[in-house]
Amino acid sequence: MAEKVILLVDDDDVFVEAVSAVLESQYRVRRAANGTEGLEMIAEERPDVVILDVMMDYLSEGFEVARKLRNDPATVDLPIIMLTGVDQVYNVRMEVDESWVPCELYLEKPVAPGDLLRHIAEVLGEQ
Amino acid sequence: MKPEVSKVDYLFADELFGRLVWFVRLRWIAVAGLVAASLIGPFLGLPGVWPALLVVGSFVAVFNIIFIYHLGWRSRRERPYEHLRSCAVRQIVADLAALVVTAHFTGGLQSPALLFFAFHMAIGTIILPTRIMYIVATCTSGAMFAVYMLENTGVLAFHPLDPSRGMCGAACQFNMPAFIFALVGVVALTDSVTSRFKKRNLKLWETTRELRQSTDDLQRTLEQVETVEQRKSHYMRISAHQLRSPLATVRTSLQVLTEGYVEPGTDRGKKLLEGALERLDDLLVTVNGLLDLAKMREGRARAPWTRKVNINQLLADILDALEPLARARSIRLVPDFEGVVILDWGVPPDLIYAFENLIENAIKYSRERGEVTTRLHLNGDRATVEVVDHGIGIPEKFLVDVMHEFVRAPNGKKHAPQGTGLGLAIAREAVEAHGGTLELRSREEEGTTATVSLSIHVKPLKGSTELVGEP
Repeated sequence: MAEKVILLVDDDDVFVEAVSAVLESQYRVRRAANGTEGLEMIAEERPDVVILDVMMDYLSEGFEVARKLRNDPATVDLPIIMLTGVDQVYNVRMEVDESWVPCELYLEKPVAPGDLLRHIAEVLGEQ
Repeated sequence: MKPEVSKVDYLFADELFGRLVWFVRLRWIAVAGLVAASLIGPFLGLPGVWPALLVVGSFVAVFNIIFIYHLGWRSRRERPYEHLRSCAVRQIVADLAALVVTAHFTGGLQSPALLFFAFHMAIGTIILPTRIMYIVATCTSGAMFAVYMLENTGVLAFHPLDPSRGMCGAACQFNMPAFIFALVGVVALTDSVTSRFKKRNLKLWETTRELRQSTDDLQRTLEQVETVEQRKSHYMRISAHQLRSPLATVRTSLQVLTEGYVEPGTDRGKKLLEGALERLDDLLVTVNGLLDLAKMREGRARAPWTRKVNINQLLADILDALEPLARARSIRLVPDFEGVVILDWGVPPDLIYAFENLIENAIKYSRERGEVTTRLHLNGDRATVEVVDHGIGIPEKFLVDVMHEFVRAPNGKKHAPQGTGLGLAIAREAVEAHGGTLELRSREEEGTTATVSLSIHVKPLKGSTELVGEP
């Protein structure tokens, strides 16, 4: 079976490095530093899971990327995990016009490496 | 003032309309009375009177229909006070004309219809300005006097109610002055009673308006408080995020190392440790920035306000201090001072923070071998400091937001990753504490101009206790 691909979209390069080290034990990891770059990489090669930060170049960039993926027939079923330092209540309130947060899982930083691997396995239906 | 007058007119127009409708209804009773009198008259032995009363009754009925049409069944907005007032004058004049004719056919100054003159004077004074009613009373007296004289001289036939009796003679000489006195008296009396009601009505309307105004003010204040609360909450959450993110990164990095995903001794391990340290430094800078901001916001009234702050000197010192930073990036710092600016009062550390931040940003976001100009200009008592760079600029949609805490334009982040996004917010606070303004103009890829505008007559903020300098 081909190796599963995880796309990690986060503007914090140290965090990306740390999480990559964990994920690389089981998956192939690709990295993007912002939403635009992330969308380009998804178009190039569809990953099995996208892990998205929320606040990157601007406050709600992660949400926007998630919505774009959900609105695109090619990526409508692409599993998305939001992994962010912002708590969920706040995100919903920040998006007054559109509180829709289209993701499979919403995780708050920091996440223990073991927990992150377990969550990804769940989303991928491996457990 | 004009709109208020029209509101008062609107208030009275509403009332006047109601009374005119009532007036029209009463007139149908008068028509019925006249027709009844004309029908009953012959049976009471008044043979000559009835056709004339029937004619007057018909005339009143016709003009009542015309008045209904004139009043119109339109909305209140389409019934201006002036229109209703002229309607009322026309109705009263027409009524009085009909009454004069009725009085003539029912015994002149002995007519029972004379009572209705007083009735009209009273109603007229209630719904119309008193001066109009004095004119109406005078004209009515004149008309009745003319009828009386024409009857007396035989030009007009005298129609006594009781044909067996002639004119009343000398006794009736007093009827005319009594009639005039009665009309004027009724107008004066009614006016004295209704003017008080009209004044009270106006007062009540004014009180209601003031109340409504106060309620609106209160509502606005509440909304402002709510907005401030929302901003505060937003700021708290963003601050929390800015503190939590680097902490989360440090924690994750350390956990990755301690749980053995990466060996600490390897290159990757070192990279993670260095990264964690870097994030801790970021955290420290952010915490310091937040403390500066809090100090600027809460403590500025207690800051040491100094008399006679020389801005030329202050800017020259900042440019000297930033020279090494500029030189390192081959950027030329150009001072362009026109005139000497000395503020009456100021908090030098805050002003240094603000100008240093603006010039440092200009250096940071300039391209290598660029130029940053610091322009000082005095126009009357208004001082302007412009910091001009020809660097990467700020995208238009971020021009306002970058003045808020933690907001950095994406191109700025890319160009200079280090930065808390607090500098401009603190600089703005410092300038505003001196009664000034900070504005940004920018074009992406062309450069940015930050403009600080200040009056030289700065006064210490209210509540300042620590004042330094010669009295």
